[in-house]
Amino acid sequence: MAKRPRKSRSAKPDTFLQRVAALKPRLYAFLLDWGSWGYIAYCFMYLLNRYWYVRHVNFYGTLAVPAWAWPIVVVGTLELAVLSHAFGHSVGLSLFGLKLFGPDYRASSWQVRLRRYLWWHLALPLQALSLRKAHPKGLLVHDVRSESRMLVVADIQEELPVVKPRKWYLTHRGLMTVALIGLTFWLGWMTTQINLGTLFGRASKSAYLWKALVTPDFEHFVTPDPQLRDSIMGGILESIYMALLATLLGGVIAFPLSFLGARNIMGFSRAGWLVFSLTRGFFNIFRSIESILWAVVFAVWVGFGPFAGVLALTLHTIAALGKLYSEQVESIDPGPLEAIAATGARRWQVVLYGVIPQIVPSYLAFTLYRWDINVRMSTVIALVGGGGIGRILFYYKNEVGRLSNAWNQVGAVIVVIVAVVWFLDYISGRIREKIT
Amino acid sequence: MTKHLIVEHLTKIYERGEVLALDDVSFSVEKGEFLVLIGLSGSGKSTLLRCINRLIEPTAGRVVFDGIDVTAASSRELRRLRRRIAMIFQQFNLVKRSSVLTNVLSGRLGYVNPGASAIHKFPKQDVEMATVNLERVGIPEQAYKRADELSGGQQQRVGIARALMQKPDLLMADEPVSALDPATSHSVMQYLEQMNREDGVTVLASLHFLSLARRYGSRILALKDGKIVFEGLPAEIDEGKFKEIYGEEAEEVEVR
Repeated sequence: MAKRPRKSRSAKPDTFLQRVAALKPRLYAFLLDWGSWGYIAYCFMYLLNRYWYVRHVNFYGTLAVPAWAWPIVVVGTLELAVLSHAFGHSVGLSLFGLKLFGPDYRASSWQVRLRRYLWWHLALPLQALSLRKAHPKGLLVHDVRSESRMLVVADIQEELPVVKPRKWYLTHRGLMTVALIGLTFWLGWMTTQINLGTLFGRASKSAYLWKALVTPDFEHFVTPDPQLRDSIMGGILESIYMALLATLLGGVIAFPLSFLGARNIMGFSRAGWLVFSLTRGFFNIFRSIESILWAVVFAVWVGFGPFAGVLALTLHTIAALGKLYSEQVESIDPGPLEAIAATGARRWQVVLYGVIPQIVPSYLAFTLYRWDINVRMSTVIALVGGGGIGRILFYYKNEVGRLSNAWNQVGAVIVVIVAVVWFLDYISGRIREKIT
Repeated sequence: MTKHLIVEHLTKIYERGEVLALDDVSFSVEKGEFLVLIGLSGSGKSTLLRCINRLIEPTAGRVVFDGIDVTAASSRELRRLRRRIAMIFQQFNLVKRSSVLTNVLSGRLGYVNPGASAIHKFPKQDVEMATVNLERVGIPEQAYKRADELSGGQQQRVGIARALMQKPDLLMADEPVSALDPATSHSVMQYLEQMNREDGVTVLASLHFLSLARRYGSRILALKDGKIVFEGLPAEIDEGKFKEIYGEEAEEVEVR
């Protein structure tokens, strides 16, 4: 087989910007390592506070880095990052595929590495003075002076000798990864105040609640509660209809929008790109705000009740389905579109005859899936005044002091919710199986 | 006699990766010719065909079809031109979930009333024409099946029927038989030959195998790395020319 031509990346960088671009992976790797040392410093401070300062010095205080010490922290982590680049294979280097090589791609001795580390400190000022007439191969001062190179491994894969890799627990990046994951878990555990002792020690306190929940009281299943003027049946139907309406309205609106949010449909002109970006932006922003937050807005706008809930669910459905739909449009087979365009068809005819037949089944599946989500969402949206079965649930929950069987009523509502959600999930699952 | 299709200094550079796919390609096609494009994969055959009907926008150069400049045409003029230039594809490019009949009828989309096409309504004579064309390619009984239920050879015949619906002056075929077995290949090629001889459709086909090119082509154009390296009659390709087109290590294979 003929030898593969070298990638153009190794070509001589000739302009200032190209030189900077060639240094990009090295810069990113360095910033990542600097960041991870900074994170370790933060974790160290957090733990010091928790286990020493608050316990032994000042219970009400917080240990903070004084202003004069900040430069030390910054420079210290910077030095650690430089050291870990010169003397080992750091996380950043391995993520960006870089490796340090001596001449002939051999590993460097510790003297070379030390020289590299020391020269690094002069690299930035010297480089800043002379970057415009820098080394033709895009090397920095410490590369040249230490005769070692930081290279992209993928570019020179063929020339590298086969070396047995070291065990991960003997490498810098292996230990660093373990430290980062371990510290994150440790801090997370404490920040979220996890306490297994309380979890198991106080279990008996919730016993009466469990008992009530497993002996549900269906007194107001169909007969409306006079105080509430509604029954569980009425509530769950309201929820189902809310979810149904939100899904239908959302799907109908998301359908045309999904074409505007598909790269392969809109990417033919600059105006198309603008529309595409705006549509995708809308999807992403409105999708990341949960429907329960939208319900707060609409409860103020149109008043408490199922209407606010439907509006909230619809808005979130448009954004969520729109995104799923447009990704579906982007993943279609482009061949038929090309063929139909070649017959002299108009753009919208290409969409109608080439795109839509390909996406209908997955659109239906996504819509059904969305209905599931909306039913589940509509059971809790009443928490902020959105109507539905949740209104009944929270009513009984708040009547615990007045009604002796309040928890049993809550139990009944929960049983109904579980039954309906499970049933609709099952049905939509079966239908989805059939159409895809 | 004026040339049917003239391609002048056609150049295509793919911006991503800066690949030069077509390098100053010029040739012309007479009416009624069966011109075959040969060359290795990646030599620019597909790009050339797609630049002619501007499925791909050429970077430079000119394409003139029946005296009309395709490269300068507005989108409306381009649609009118595309109606007369039918195309069939290596992967057939049928809408798999639509019926065979709908696929064939979509060949009329450039002609029909757009409003009616929006509700999938085609004139009666178009539906009749579709039936006739399906009979012509020998699969009238498959009309109501879904396109993906058909075998590869049958799908390519649907592709031909769709092309016939356009009543084209020029048929471009992009490796129409590469995905088919040898026996099916010949039956598909014979439909193209029939269109060429009986309906007087000019054919511009790219083919992988030189043996097929020799058997069906009235003239051969060879591309290598986006440049024309041979233009002439099938019989003129000897051992030396063959190696020039396909490289030193290539062996000629026969498709029977």
